[in-house]
Amino acid sequence: MKIDATQPLEYGTEENRNRIFGFWLFLGAEIALFATLFTVYIVLANRFASGPSGAEIFEITPVLLETFLLLTSSFTIGLAVHAMRLGLKKQMMMFMIITLLLGAGFLGIEIFEFFTYVHEGVTLSTSAFSSSLFTLLGTHGAHVTFGLLWGTAILIQIKKHGLDHSTANKSFIFSLYWHFLDVVWIFIFSFVYLKGLM
Amino acid sequence: MKWDEFFVTGEPLIYGAMVSIVLASLAILFGLTYYKKWGYLWREWLTTVDHKRIGVMYILCALIMLFRGGVDAIMMRAQTAAPDMKFLDGQHYNEVFTTHGVIMILFMAMPFIFGLMNVVIPLQIGARDVAFPKLNAISFWLFFAGAMLFNISFVIGGSPDAGWTAYFPLASIEFSPTVGNNYYSLALQISGIGTLLTGLNFIVTIMKMRAPGMTLMRMPMFTWAVLITCVIIIFAFPVLTIALLLMLFDRVFGSQFFTMANGGMDMLWANLFWVWGHPEVYIVILPAFGIFSEIISTFSRKNLYGYSSMVLSMVIISGLSFLVWAHHFYTMGQGAMVNGFFSITTMAIAVPTGIKIFNWLFTLRKGRISFTTPMLYSLAFIPIFTIGGVTGVMLAMASADYQYHNTMFLVAHFHYVLIPGAVFAVIAGFHYWFPKVFGFRLNEKLGKLAFWFIAISFNVTFFPLFFLGLKGMTRRTYTYSAETGFGPLNMLSMVGAIGLAIGFIILVYNIYWSTRYEPRDKTGDPWDARALEWSTPSPVPVYNFAVTPKVKGRDAYWFSKKNNEPLSDEKITKIHMPSNTGKPFILGIAFFFLGFFLVFSWWIPSIIAGIAVLIIMATMSFDRNNGYYIPVEEIVQTEQKLRGDTV
Amino acid sequence: MIKQLFPIKHVAGYISSLVLSAVALVVLLDMPAASKMAILFVTAILQASVQLMLFMHVGESDNKKSIYINIAYALFVGLVTIFGTLFIFVWGWYS
Repeated sequence: MKIDATQPLEYGTEENRNRIFGFWLFLGAEIALFATLFTVYIVLANRFASGPSGAEIFEITPVLLETFLLLTSSFTIGLAVHAMRLGLKKQMMMFMIITLLLGAGFLGIEIFEFFTYVHEGVTLSTSAFSSSLFTLLGTHGAHVTFGLLWGTAILIQIKKHGLDHSTANKSFIFSLYWHFLDVVWIFIFSFVYLKGLM
Repeated sequence: MKWDEFFVTGEPLIYGAMVSIVLASLAILFGLTYYKKWGYLWREWLTTVDHKRIGVMYILCALIMLFRGGVDAIMMRAQTAAPDMKFLDGQHYNEVFTTHGVIMILFMAMPFIFGLMNVVIPLQIGARDVAFPKLNAISFWLFFAGAMLFNISFVIGGSPDAGWTAYFPLASIEFSPTVGNNYYSLALQISGIGTLLTGLNFIVTIMKMRAPGMTLMRMPMFTWAVLITCVIIIFAFPVLTIALLLMLFDRVFGSQFFTMANGGMDMLWANLFWVWGHPEVYIVILPAFGIFSEIISTFSRKNLYGYSSMVLSMVIISGLSFLVWAHHFYTMGQGAMVNGFFSITTMAIAVPTGIKIFNWLFTLRKGRISFTTPMLYSLAFIPIFTIGGVTGVMLAMASADYQYHNTMFLVAHFHYVLIPGAVFAVIAGFHYWFPKVFGFRLNEKLGKLAFWFIAISFNVTFFPLFFLGLKGMTRRTYTYSAETGFGPLNMLSMVGAIGLAIGFIILVYNIYWSTRYEPRDKTGDPWDARALEWSTPSPVPVYNFAVTPKVKGRDAYWFSKKNNEPLSDEKITKIHMPSNTGKPFILGIAFFFLGFFLVFSWWIPSIIAGIAVLIIMATMSFDRNNGYYIPVEEIVQTEQKLRGDTV
Repeated sequence: MIKQLFPIKHVAGYISSLVLSAVALVVLLDMPAASKMAILFVTAILQASVQLMLFMHVGESDNKKSIYINIAYALFVGLVTIFGTLFIFVWGWYS
């Protein structure tokens, strides 16, 4: 393993650089994936049949709260990577734990939101609109859930092995994933909720 | 799900298949135990991360799937060979054409290409392995899990029967109540994830692992073709992932995406399917263009004509491939503006493809052509593929397509594109690179015999279908009356299908014969070829290159041979290699069961299998195995043994 | 320590993303639909760029050219899928 000391830890070996590059490619695939979900949602958004429309069920307050939590978590994971580059293991872990807690808070509100919809009689099978809404939000939520599990696994590894080429690389890639989920949320916020409410 | 519906019953053909599956499995288990090969199988194959072995496993699976898909094809041709045939009933015929299509595209053509890619790409760019060897093994085992899941459908639960395109509303739970289309959705989903990971892996490999001196414009054409193919893969497959997910939701959870009521839109499925489906065609065909470029250049003893225009035309094709999908459903109801747009983009693809055809012809011009088996396939490809391409332009014209749509003319067209474009290519590549992997060539005499059978029978099988289509015979009809006049041409097509079967049997027999009798190749370069893979000894040692070659131009190995310059003057040093691991295989098994339980909506087993998948992935993340080193003495010994000389 | 842990670039990015989200909320007020859509597009794209440039360090890698091409291609495919589908089913539908 050739080690390049002039680079940050996460870029330090050839394999690490390949992984970061590969993950960027994966994010490209994720863009295509979410674009397809948006396609489905945009085409079906007005086809709510006898069920309610978006304007009737969306509420702005929980959405704003979700947005705030996710934007803040994106900020803190950025700080975690910054701390990691300064070699501050403790602070880095702290920022990462905050990130995961904010993510869990986001997920909690989203689950609550889903329960509210179901309570109002809007389920996956109500209309083409509700199907596409639940699937788009659910896929994003599933990504966040996976991120929580993945982030926890990385935290355990940092605790066990400290910040080395392997754990730093994983943390950096995780941060890319988390920022990406934030970007997707921005588009959901704008083109699902705000567009539905306007 | 009632238990008496679990196994498919009532069909003598299926009973026969069940018995032969059980017997074959028992024979394999017995053979492995009797010859004490379990350990060998586990250590050398199931846990391998070596790109060459993974490639061999892909190709082996592809050959088995070629057999399965071929039997489906023969059954279809037999059923339609004469008017009012009673060989298959309508339901069984539907299942057979569905599985034929899915298997040939996704479980035969793609793994065959992936197999060749795996074997060849790291060797062509002078690398030790792919960028992520463990991920490569995961890709393979996910593909394998998907393929097996799809194949058990015809004995357990029933095959999908809504066509390989699985159009809604036909594929909905209302009109296809069996679990068949659940199999379709999940098997394609699992193998599709594997495909996506392969795409990522090979882009990183090609972009980052090339030998020093090999700039992008010095890469062999096959490497270029694979790079562009992988770019298409990573952007096209996510669309399929979503389409299949929505299909599963509609069928299992009662969502309303493609339903006929509550706002659902059945046409959206066709739309999403082809947003993926058309790029998929190029995923299969671009590597084939690469293979032909390698072979034509090698056996014309000339460098490839118009290298940069070859690259540019592939880049243009990759962009256009995402802009043409609506030509698959001109008759769906969109306006003339839409059809006009997609007609033009479709016809535009003929331009870069035409450039490639001319480049191959100019490569042949004034070349010293040797008519080897791989070269024969490549030469036959050019005119046959051109017929497919020209009929494609006919179909591209929206107004004319209203006549051809869903007729046998279309069936003839895409077989004329895909068989020379994909099947001829993988067979040619198989013959061409076989000595690299196994250390001996396939017999030329048997190879040529198989070629003539396949090439002639192919035309006998599919040329009549053009006329049947123009006469009005629709695709996917399981029978017709004598008055239609379709009988004689269909019978001719049946004769061709038998010829094709004979050709493939000779091809497989050739593998057996050559394994036993063909002389071993000591040079590593039996074809006097041009790219770096031929500079290694055959069979290629696990580390590929004893020293990493230095590349000074295109066709690096050819010029090192001609100018008598070694590819590298550096000393052998110890080589770092990744360790074998059984986890990808176990992950594949877990995915298989996850898919199987979801097919039948058995929720608790599904959740358990899903958790197993997550746990296996977590243990992979916690794994801190950094591989091992091969010492210098061992490399020197291996090289001496394989080459019979000192390095 | 605080200064070290909270670099100005990150803080500025965070504040601007909050501000952009707040700006997007003006579409809930009364104004022409076209300007609403324009505001949503502009704020969303700006937000995405903030994440990409300030937080994801897209420019620091030695493969940044490949990464930019990759993102551009992904956006090309994504936009073609969205607008092509709308073209087929909404704007260009036979009526």
